[in-house]
Order: sequence, then C-alpha cells, then structure tokens
Amino acid sequence: MEFNILGIGVLTWLVFLPVLGMLLVLLIPGNNKNAIRWTALGITALQLVLAVIVTCLFDRSAAGVNDPQSFQFIEQFRWIAVESVPWIGKIEILYFLGIDGLSILMVLLTAIISVIGVISSWNIEKMVKGYFVLYLLLVTGMMGVFVALDFFLFFIFWEVMLLPMYFLIGIWGGPRREYAAIKFFIYTFFGGVLMLLVMLGLYFSVAYTNEAGEMVHTFNLLHMMNSANFVEGSIFYGLDTTWRYIAWVALFVSFAIKVPLFPFHTWLPDAHVEAPTPISVILAGVLLKLGTYGMLRILYPILPDGTVYFMYLMAFLGMISIIYGALCAMAQDDFKKLIAYSSISHMGIVMLGMASLTNQGTVGAVLQMFNHGTITAMLFLTVGVLYDRTHKRGLYDFGGIANQMPKYTGIAMVALFASLGLPGLSGFVSEFFSFLGAFDAFRWITIISVIGIVLTAAYVLWTIQRVFLGEGKEEHNSLADLTGRELVMFVPLLLIVIFLGVYPGPAIELMNTSISTLVEFVGLAGK
Amino acid sequence: MLEQYIPIFILIALAVLIAVAFIILSYLLGPARPNKPKLGPYESGMDPIGQAKERYSVGFYIIAMEFIVFDLEVVFIYPWAVRYQEFGPGTLWAMVLFITILLLGLVYTLKKGSFKWDMLPGSPAK
Amino acid sequence: MESVNELLTISPIVIIGFAGLFVMMLDAFTGNARWSFYASLFFCLAALAGAVQNVLGPTGTSFYSLVYYGGTASFGAVLVLTGTLFSLCLSKDYLEQTGNHIAEVYSLVLFAAFGMLLLVQANHMIVLFLGIESMSIALYALAGLLRDQKKSVEAALKYFLLGAFSTGFLLYGIALLYGSTGSLALPEIAEASDKGVMYWAGVGLLFTGFFFKVSAVPFHMWTPDVYQGSPTTVTAFMATASKSAAFVAFILVLSRALPDTSQQWQEVLWIFAVFTMVIGNLLALVQENIKRMLAYSSIAHAGYIMVGLAATSGAAYSAVLYYLFAYTLMNVGAFGVVAYYECHKNCDFTEIKNYAGLGFKKPIMGILMSVFLFSMVGIPPFAGFIGKYRVFAAAIDEGLISLVIIGVLASAISVYYYLSVLVYLYMKEDETGMVMKRPSTLYSLALIILALLTIYFGVHPGLLTDFLGSFYSVTW
Repeated sequence: MEFNILGIGVLTWLVFLPVLGMLLVLLIPGNNKNAIRWTALGITALQLVLAVIVTCLFDRSAAGVNDPQSFQFIEQFRWIAVESVPWIGKIEILYFLGIDGLSILMVLLTAIISVIGVISSWNIEKMVKGYFVLYLLLVTGMMGVFVALDFFLFFIFWEVMLLPMYFLIGIWGGPRREYAAIKFFIYTFFGGVLMLLVMLGLYFSVAYTNEAGEMVHTFNLLHMMNSANFVEGSIFYGLDTTWRYIAWVALFVSFAIKVPLFPFHTWLPDAHVEAPTPISVILAGVLLKLGTYGMLRILYPILPDGTVYFMYLMAFLGMISIIYGALCAMAQDDFKKLIAYSSISHMGIVMLGMASLTNQGTVGAVLQMFNHGTITAMLFLTVGVLYDRTHKRGLYDFGGIANQMPKYTGIAMVALFASLGLPGLSGFVSEFFSFLGAFDAFRWITIISVIGIVLTAAYVLWTIQRVFLGEGKEEHNSLADLTGRELVMFVPLLLIVIFLGVYPGPAIELMNTSISTLVEFVGLAGK
Repeated sequence: MLEQYIPIFILIALAVLIAVAFIILSYLLGPARPNKPKLGPYESGMDPIGQAKERYSVGFYIIAMEFIVFDLEVVFIYPWAVRYQEFGPGTLWAMVLFITILLLGLVYTLKKGSFKWDMLPGSPAK
Repeated sequence: MESVNELLTISPIVIIGFAGLFVMMLDAFTGNARWSFYASLFFCLAALAGAVQNVLGPTGTSFYSLVYYGGTASFGAVLVLTGTLFSLCLSKDYLEQTGNHIAEVYSLVLFAAFGMLLLVQANHMIVLFLGIESMSIALYALAGLLRDQKKSVEAALKYFLLGAFSTGFLLYGIALLYGSTGSLALPEIAEASDKGVMYWAGVGLLFTGFFFKVSAVPFHMWTPDVYQGSPTTVTAFMATASKSAAFVAFILVLSRALPDTSQQWQEVLWIFAVFTMVIGNLLALVQENIKRMLAYSSIAHAGYIMVGLAATSGAAYSAVLYYLFAYTLMNVGAFGVVAYYECHKNCDFTEIKNYAGLGFKKPIMGILMSVFLFSMVGIPPFAGFIGKYRVFAAAIDEGLISLVIIGVLASAISVYYYLSVLVYLYMKEDETGMVMKRPSTLYSLALIILALLTIYFGVHPGLLTDFLGSFYSVTW
C-alpha cells in the first residue's frame, strides 16, 4: 500500500505537516491571535483528514509487526549511512516509516486529539504564537513516534517531544508549574537515557547481511526482531541471558515511566494538575499511550524471552497501578488530580491486558489505549470547562451543576460512566477484553484487579454526586452552559465513545491481524 | 690530570689579588669623608631600612622584565653565533625572524612609554 | 618552492602568529582598539581558511618532522580557530560595555590561539611544550584583564600558580619519557622498546599535565574560579579553544606516542573519566552563579570526552573530535548569551536567579540560550546529542559498558541544572522591570550562526562524521 502526495509519502506528510504549520505560525505577526489559532486548527484538521484517509485505505489483512513486506505506507531511505569498513561492517540509520495494526489506531487517536486540543486552546491568551509553535512541534513528535520503524528515529521523536512539553507545562501552567515541568522532564529524560543505553547495546549486537553480502549494523527495528541477526558473541546474543534481562528491565522502565506505571507514576499528578487543559488532554490522550505502544512495538518483539520471563512482573505492576490509582483517585478532593490518578488506574488495565500475552488481552489493551485516550480527553475537557468559568477545581467547591448546565452535565456523565466501564460505552468493551485475556493467564492477579473496577465505580459515582447533583452553590447560579466551541470539541469524542461502545468491530478489525501475529511471535520466540 | 688546570688557578689567584689590591689601595689613598647616604648599601636610591612588604614603583618591574627578555635573548643568540658555521646560512633567517619579533616587542613597549620614567604610574619622579 | 609548501602546512600558525604581532603594532601606532578588533577578525578568518585547506589535504610531517599536519591535527586547528573567531566576534561589544575595550586583549587572544595551534600540530614534545606555554601565559594575562576586580585578580593568580605547577609536571614527564625512550618525537617514543619504571613515571606526569589543562577531576579546582573571574567572552575562549586544543593534543599523544601501552593507561582514563563526570555534574547542581555552573558543566563535558579517549579506538577518537566541535559551538554560544545578559545592571548580572523572566523580554536571546542549553543536555535534534551519542556508542563498542552507564546516568543529572536556567528564564516573573539593551548586529549574528550550526550538525551530522571517521579510516 502506498499513497503519495506531491511525490512525498503520506506518513511524512502526517508527521511533518505540523512542522509546516509551525513555520506558517512563525510568519504570522504575534498580535494576530485569531489567524494563528485558525492556522493551527487548519493544519491539525488537515492532518486528521490525512489520518482518516490512511485509515480507510488501510489493509486489515496485512500483519506488519516483524515483516517488512506487510507494513503499509512504507517510506524508507538511508538517513545517516556510511560506507563499508573492514572491521565493523556497514552502518546505517534509516528514515523508515510505516504503519501496521498496532499503530493505525494510535495515528488516528493522535490526529483526533490534536484537533480537539487546538479547539480547547482557543481561550489561551498568553503568548499565543509561542504556544502554538510548541504545540505543533509536540504533535510532530507524537505522530513521529507512532510511525517510526527505526529505533534511532523513534528515539529522536521520543526526545523531541520533551522540549515542547516542558515549555508548555512550564510557561502556560498553574502556580507550581516549574516544579511540575522539571519533574516531568527529569523523569522522562531518565527513561530516555535508559532507552539510549539499550538502543546502543542492541545496535552493536544486531547486524544483517544486505544485498551486497556485507554485514550491516542497523537500528532497523524489524531487523532487531529477527533473532538470527544477533551477532554471535555480542552482548545481547542468545536467549534468556542476564544481559538480555537487564536490557529488558531498562527498556521496560523507560516505557513504564511514560505509561506511567506504579512506582514510576509520581510525575503524572503534578504534571496534570499544573498543565493547562489542552496540554492535559494531549498528555493523557496521547503521551501516556506512547509508553504502552513502545512496549508492544519494541520491547515485546525484540526481547520476547524477557517479556515471557517477566510477564508476571508486568501483570503485577499493572494490578498495583489499577488498585493504587483507584484508591488515590478516591482520596482526592481536586477534580483534575482525581482524573490524573484514574488515568494511572486505567493504564494499569492496559498493562494487565498486554501482559497476558493472549490475543483477547492484547486486543483489549490496544483498544483500551484508544478508548482511554478519548475518554480521558473528555474528562480533562470537562474539568477545563468548569475551571474556565469558576477558576476552581475542588470537588467540594461545586454541587448541583446539573441544574445550571444541563448540556454540560449530560456530556460529562457520559464521559464519567464510560470511564467507569458502563456497558454500551467504549470503556466497557476494552476493559472487558483486557480482563478476559488476563484471566486466562493469571487468575488471581486478575481477580484482585477487578476490585479496581469497584473502586472506580465508587469514586466516579461519588464525584458525580459531589459535583453535579445535590444542592447548588449560590455563586454558581449564573454559570453559562456549553458554548458552541466547547460543543464542537466534545461532540466528536462523545460520538466515538458511544459508537465504539455499541459497535467496536471496526476498531478491532483494524488491529486484529497484527496483534495475533505479535502474540504468536512473542509466544514462539519467548518459549 | 690536574696540570691542565694550572692556568685557571693562576687566573683565579690573579683576580683575587688584583681585587684585594684595589680595595686596599683605595682605602689607603682615597680621601675619607663619610656621610649617611654614602655609608648605606646601594639600593637604587631606595631607603634600605623599612618593612619587608614595602611596595616598589611598578616602573622597576617593567624595566626588570625587559632586561630579562633581552638578557635571555643573548643566551639564545650567543651559542648560535658560536656554532653558526655548522648550522648553515638557513638559520640566519630564523635568527633574523627571532630578532625581528623581539624588536617588535621593543617597539611596542617604547610606544607604550615604558621607558619614559616620569610617565610610569607611581614613579618617584612624578 | 619546497619551503613554501612547508610553510603552507603550518599556514594557520603563521597567519595567527603574524596577526598577533600585527595587531600589537597596530595598537602601538594607532591606539585604536576597534582597528585591532577588525584586523584580528580578518586574520582569524584567513587562518581558518588555511586550516580548512589543510584538513582537506593529506597528512604528514614537516619542519624536520617537528610539526604534524592534516587530519586530526588540522581539524584541531579548525576547532581552535572556530572557538577563537566566535569569541572574538562577541568580545568587542562585551568589552566596550564593561569598559575594558583595550587592544591588548586581541593580541593576547591571538597569541594564545597561536600557542593552541602549535599544540595541536605538535609532532615533538618540545613543540608541544612551547604550544602549551605560549597558550597558558597569554591566558594568565587574559584572566586578569579586569584588574580592578578582586575576582579577576584571584582568577589570574590562581590560574598562574596552578598552571605553572602543572606545566612543571608536564615538563618533568616529557623529560622522563626522553630518558626512557631516547627521543622526543611522538612516533619515535612509540617505537622505543623499553617500558620501565621511568617510562611509566613519565607517562603519569604527562597525563597529570594534560588532566590539568582539560580540567579533569581532581585537577579541576582552578576552573570555576578562573571561568568566573575572567571576562565572560574570554571565558568562552578559554573554555572552548584551549580545551579543544588540549584534547586534540592529548589524542595525538595517546594515539601516536603511546599506542601500544593503551591497555594500561586506558584504566587510568577510565577512573578519571568517572570522577570527572560524576563530580563535575554533582557540583554543577548547587551553583548559583551561571558562569560557575557552566564551568562545572564544562568539567562534566571533559568527562564525557574522556570516555571517548578511554575507548582508544579510531571511531572513539573521531567521535571525540565531533564532540569537541559541538562543544565549541554550544559553549561559545552559551557564554555569549551570558555575556549579553551580564552587560545589564552595572555588569554584574551573573546570578541565575537574576534571569527571572528574561526569556520573554528578548525572545531571540531566550531561544538561543534554550538551544545551547538543550544541546548541552544532549537532546536531539541538537549537535550535543550526536556528539554524546557517538562517544558513548564508540565506548560500548570497545566494551566499556559500565563506564557508559555511569556517563549516561551522570548526564541525566545534568538535566536539572541546565533546565533550572530555563526555569528562571521562562517560568518566573521578572519583578525588577528592567529594560534590555539591543545587541549589536555582529553580536546577534554570531550567536544565531552558532545556534544554526548547533541545529544543523544535530539534524544532518553525516557529512562531518564521515569526514572525521576518514582520519582513522573508520566510519560510523
């Protein structure tokens, strides 16, 4: 499958369209705020259109994962390539993009959330130009990570995301923004550093023979997945060696920080609470998925022996995250912090589903990634709407909002119930699949994890009671209901949540082939 | 073995002899009208008695440094001149370059007024 | 014709040496510092052109094999001249605003650069020593340029005393090496068969001298004081050009004079690299003055570079050369922005907490500072990342895995102190309401070029990396 626009592949367009937008925004004078906003919206909308086209053209029967032939929309050329040397062989770093069933939903999610993020950024007045420049750079980084198939390229996009995120939290954030920004940066940078180490180790361990018969060291992820490419005597050669386990743990930690998995989660509540609403939306909607996506794309197929060896550890950490996140959420009296902790809990479900190494569990996990992206985005927008109007976020500051803002309450209820896992809404389907798969693999861990659902129900219902029901506060009597702009950002998400709750088939079909290939591959290679 | 050193010993003896002779002669023949500055040790006009940490005019240092530079230049040039035949004419140009660079240094210090004693900062003549 | 060709092999040295004298005479006869400034810029460019020409040409030795040219040595000259050129561009404005615009600065900078060029092209221990001395003596004088400020006098005195001491070590080391091998030429030292106690004592003292010049822990004590006390643009010059020169000379000595004992001294470098990285980064964490912070950060960078030296492979040496290039770009840049900020409020504006909210007042300066600092952190797509990555990759390839792990973790620490500058620039409010000056065109142009180069060599490192690899007939 190929799709070119002006001779450039569609994935390059997807990734670098925001950079183009960035340059456009830079050209607009800073006081023309609306022009900047519309440009950013136009660019992200165009990106969404491309993403939808890609999804429509996507061939559901092609597996991808470790087989270069069945990746789609491939673009590949040498980025940094070096001629042959007698004793190290050839070296190459590729500009290698492509998508398969693992990434297609994430690409779509990124595009959707980016547009929603721009709409919800409309009321940002502080240095609009700088804000959107950084925002668009962030979008490029996120999209790049999801389509990169070369480890080096993946790493570059991964780190490029840090810069805009750091400034977006640090400049446009709340009162403790510098603390939150630097904490976010240090945690993720530390993860990046571990990834870099493993990447270097893998690079020197992996070499393939190219058409000319030369040994070439490469960062190509697909070559790294082939255990025959590991050079004999190199550090990661063999299966179930200590070095491979160390590498697995290091890589796992670097991704787990991003997820974030207990005990690497402490940056998340701070970052969420201090970040402005649209950035929270992006953070919860897309950035957290990078961690779990990275595990599926890199950790699972490249180090399958470690994955199988450590699957109980993953499940266990997933379980702790589910329970611990839910308990913490219950203890919050800040609406935004509550949602931040609920994210930790829900990402724990993704982890648990993935760890099972079963088809249902992994499908559930990827679907949960998508659903959590849309649902949590809605929840953060919900908080943002209240905060815009009252500049308060405390759960006890509100009450009886349902009377003043009926439309808003309706939408917020859907989001909250979806996050609770009510059948008929999208959260239910993915959580159900995840638990189903996990139950096959680890009975007791799953049974304990399901308690998390009960806790979720508790804090969600309690939140609804405290914020939306009960007696209204007098100072909130004049609260206006949703404006047209706010409806525009809520409604698409609402439709997705309901549609996937009723009919999840299309989403599952998109990834089914790839995931069964992945699960089979990991199962075979790891045992 | 030691015989070949005899001329040197004679030279040393002569030097000592002449030096002692002059001191004695001047003591015997010269008029003796002592006063305080005359009896003091020679210190470039400075008071020889005082605190050890006394500050000197910076002019002394500048002159002293320049003296050292040209003094060392001699140390460098002299052996070259002695062995010039062996080194060959090419080294002449090297030495010309060396002296030119030194000369430029001299011109610089001249232009900056380091030999105008009364223009030096803190000079006693001011 | 023969001799003209020989002269061409040292064209940067000749040009810069002549330039130093010329600028000195210009000052003596006109007394106008601006002419000296433009003249030194012109000669620097000419010397850079000469160095680039040499770097593209063949390698070899000339002047009775006292001098080595081409390859690493000439690239060292390019490094030195890049650092010199950019710090000169920044110097005029800074010195004028701090009231110290005297022409001697330029001749001293050029004399120091002359020493550095001699150092990087040395093929003989005496030439190396001459280079180190003419570099150091000029730098001692430059450090004490602000002679009415206590910090500057302290810097000069400290630098001079410790520097003289370390030169003694170096000289003693050279003497012992001569005693044990019977030669002072680098390749002949390598050929000597006797590797007894005297040889090792000589190598040890030689290393001590070099460690001092590159400010490796525990010979780093002078660095923060000197970097803080010297005029900022001179600090930029010292931190980049002199460090690059010392490292390039170190590489040449290691790879050309001591290659067959690398097994043994590799461990020495290993230990010193660990100390330098860890202590440099830890001490940088607690600094409140930005010049001191950058001084400790430059110590840490020396540590990363020593990881490359410890790897002792051709790939590692060429990685170090790339790192030095990136280091020169980003460090001159960072000190340049610091110098710009410093010129406000009585020219005493170097505490990090003073920077509150300045990032928004002159947005371009803020962005430039961010680029340089992020490059120092080692984040793609900046040149600093590629440099660090290459050095660590080469070390892993040589099996120094634990060393690389320590290095990478140490560089993770460094994020905190680099970012804290940005926290002040962008995330604190400015309460003083100060008005920022407009930098001159040349000044901003120099900084912007540095930033663009930092980005360019981060995004598209291929050409340079291939080229540097060709010095050692390896590629990466």
